Amino acid sequence: MKRRICLQALALTGVEAMDSVHGASETSLRIGLTPVILADQVAFLSRWGSYLSERTAARVTFVARESYQPILDMLFSDQLDAAWICGYPFVKYESQLSLLCVPLYLGEPSYQAYLIRPKGAANGIGGWDDLRDKVLAYSDPLSNSGWLVAQAQLAKVGISPAELKRTFFAHGHRNVAQAVASRLANAGSIDGYVWETMRKQGMAAISQTEIVWKSEEFGFPPLVTRRGADQPALARVQQAMISMAGDKFGQELLRTLNLTGFTNGKSAMFDSIRAQAKMVSGSGVPA
Amino acid sequence: MLRRLPYRIQIPVGLSLAVLVTTFLVTAVSAKFYANRTRQENLATLDRGVVLIVAQARPLLAADDIWRMFALLRDTAALIPGAVEGKGRLAVLNDEGIVFAASDPRVLETGMEFLGTVWHGQKIAWIDNSPDAQRWNRPDGAVMLLNPIFSEDGQLMGHVFMEIDGSVFAPDWLALSKTAFVSALLATALLLPIGWIIGVRMTQPVARLIAFIGRIGNEPPSKLRLEVPITRDPELGRVAQAIQQLTIELTEREKSEERALSAERLAAVGRITAAVAHEINNPLMGLLTATQTLRIHGDAQPVREQTLDLLDRGLHQIRTTVAALLPQARVEDRPLNPSDLEDVVTLIKAAVTQNNCELHSHIKVESALRVPSAPMRQVMLNLLSNAIKAAGPNGEVSALLEADAQTVFFKVTNSGPSLTAEKFSETLDSESGHDPRGFGLWVCRELANQYLGGFGLDLNTTAGTSLVFWMPNRESIESST
Repeated sequence: MKRRICLQALALTGVEAMDSVHGASETSLRIGLTPVILADQVAFLSRWGSYLSERTAARVTFVARESYQPILDMLFSDQLDAAWICGYPFVKYESQLSLLCVPLYLGEPSYQAYLIRPKGAANGIGGWDDLRDKVLAYSDPLSNSGWLVAQAQLAKVGISPAELKRTFFAHGHRNVAQAVASRLANAGSIDGYVWETMRKQGMAAISQTEIVWKSEEFGFPPLVTRRGADQPALARVQQAMISMAGDKFGQELLRTLNLTGFTNGKSAMFDSIRAQAKMVSGSGVPA
Repeated sequence: MLRRLPYRIQIPVGLSLAVLVTTFLVTAVSAKFYANRTRQENLATLDRGVVLIVAQARPLLAADDIWRMFALLRDTAALIPGAVEGKGRLAVLNDEGIVFAASDPRVLETGMEFLGTVWHGQKIAWIDNSPDAQRWNRPDGAVMLLNPIFSEDGQLMGHVFMEIDGSVFAPDWLALSKTAFVSALLATALLLPIGWIIGVRMTQPVARLIAFIGRIGNEPPSKLRLEVPITRDPELGRVAQAIQQLTIELTEREKSEERALSAERLAAVGRITAAVAHEINNPLMGLLTATQTLRIHGDAQPVREQTLDLLDRGLHQIRTTVAALLPQARVEDRPLNPSDLEDVVTLIKAAVTQNNCELHSHIKVESALRVPSAPMRQVMLNLLSNAIKAAGPNGEVSALLEADAQTVFFKVTNSGPSLTAEKFSETLDSESGHDPRGFGLWVCRELANQYLGGFGLDLNTTAGTSLVFWMPNRESIESST
């Protein structure tokens, strides 16, 4: 509840995790956050912002939204200097974006998408081909694991969206888990990293859901900038991110994020997403 | 059970019971009021919740945003009575009557056809473009609401459905019982000592009266009369008055008893005096005759000696009789001698002559006589005197002194009217105290009892009356000691 209130506050009022006075500089960097991470912990973001500020000689703040599109809109309209988005919007808007860095999850710049169902539910869902006439929860229209993967898998098993009883977007992976846990949906397509992080944090929704399917590895949601952005501070941010695993405070922040570090991103990391998007009509990625 | 307890316990216990009963009744009535009020408040809350949801649901229905609708219903349900415990649920239906989202999707599944179906025994009918809400009050106390959602331009967008289980409206007896219990406990804790004090104060006059009543019979009424407890209570005042009256009457009775006792003592003294006079009078006449004989024939030596012996024995008998009245005196009595019968006959002769009758005496003594002479002489004198009177003029009286080793008998027969056993018993009873004039037979019986002998009517005698006196032929216990 507290997290939800905080998230709403961040989303609706644009409250930013303010840098501490100590280490503040005239250069200001705003980084947008999407539901690819559990970004509603204000105290954590404040600590992370301070950490980056101290190492970049810039005032780093985070801006969180519960959907991907507003963050992209803000990024494209120069309201943000960088954004942590999903791999799918990256490949979709790759011509306008540059990779800043890619997180390492379990030591790899990749993750999986999960299909989950209510735990112990006798709803007969054992895979994608069981979703006919069922209610399926997505995360976001611009989410790889929370929409694109589902479209590809449904197409793969020959189920058109119209054959599902109902689908809806839950505005975030965490909400997908909650929707499935509360039986609002019979199944949900979710980011495996988020699900595992929620499980690690002992969130109730996870204990009420179970995984019925795991995808292949996809490139982990990257931090991107507008293509052509030439702020020197961004390079320092990139270096600070990549260096986080090397110092104690950075490791502590990474543990909170359930990540092992950041690395320089390469477009090839997202080939699997790109290939998948090309198979899904309406994905916006030309075949 | 309570009535068996003293007032000082009855009153506080009664007060506590009254508190408990009152608490129970108040709780029951309060519960009813509380239940009604709670129901009205809950229904008002439901109405407000519906208004809130209708307003919030429009844009979400328009945006087809199931998640946010769910979040809205879930958050709103927290305000709806019983929803958190799973006893209430909210749902928004789309314009096709299908569940769009519900606060509890386990019960109202997403995409479930709802309008037009039967839900918990109630047909949920469509609302045909009516802005009015529908409400169903189910027999189990549950309430269901269905409210249409219209767009600003009047298009039906969907419905809000709300259901609250009947148990939500039921009084929370457990909570009420706890409150009642605590109230009763506090009230009892407060009232019990107060009731005890009041009870003790109220019953104090009663207790004083009871204690006073307990003294009646154990203490002199004349003393109690002055100590009757005074009470201001009118009821108890009447009791105290009655007790006062009782002590007065007891005092009077005590005085009457003292007077009666005094009179009885006087009567007893009179009876004793009469008995003594009777016992002395019997030989006295013979002694007077003897003195007359001595005066006339005293010159003759044998007559003088015989008469003086007679006078000596007669006076000894009187002395013995008088001495017997003195408990301290110890009389040295000699054993009976056959000549004692002759003495008695001599002493009674004057009466024989006076009554003009005949007296015959016989002695059949086969063993030594060990019985005391004084009581036997007294018995003989009494029985002969009585027989002479009973025989009447020209009658005959015979006396027999008979003795063997075990018993000494003295039998007197008169020719007078036969005495029946009943008459004999009546005579003995009458002589026992009511008739101071006749003590002869009564004294005989008393002496028989005293010397472990007997006295009675000889029923074998057909003509006249025979009375028999006997006593063991041995020294009396008194004389032996």
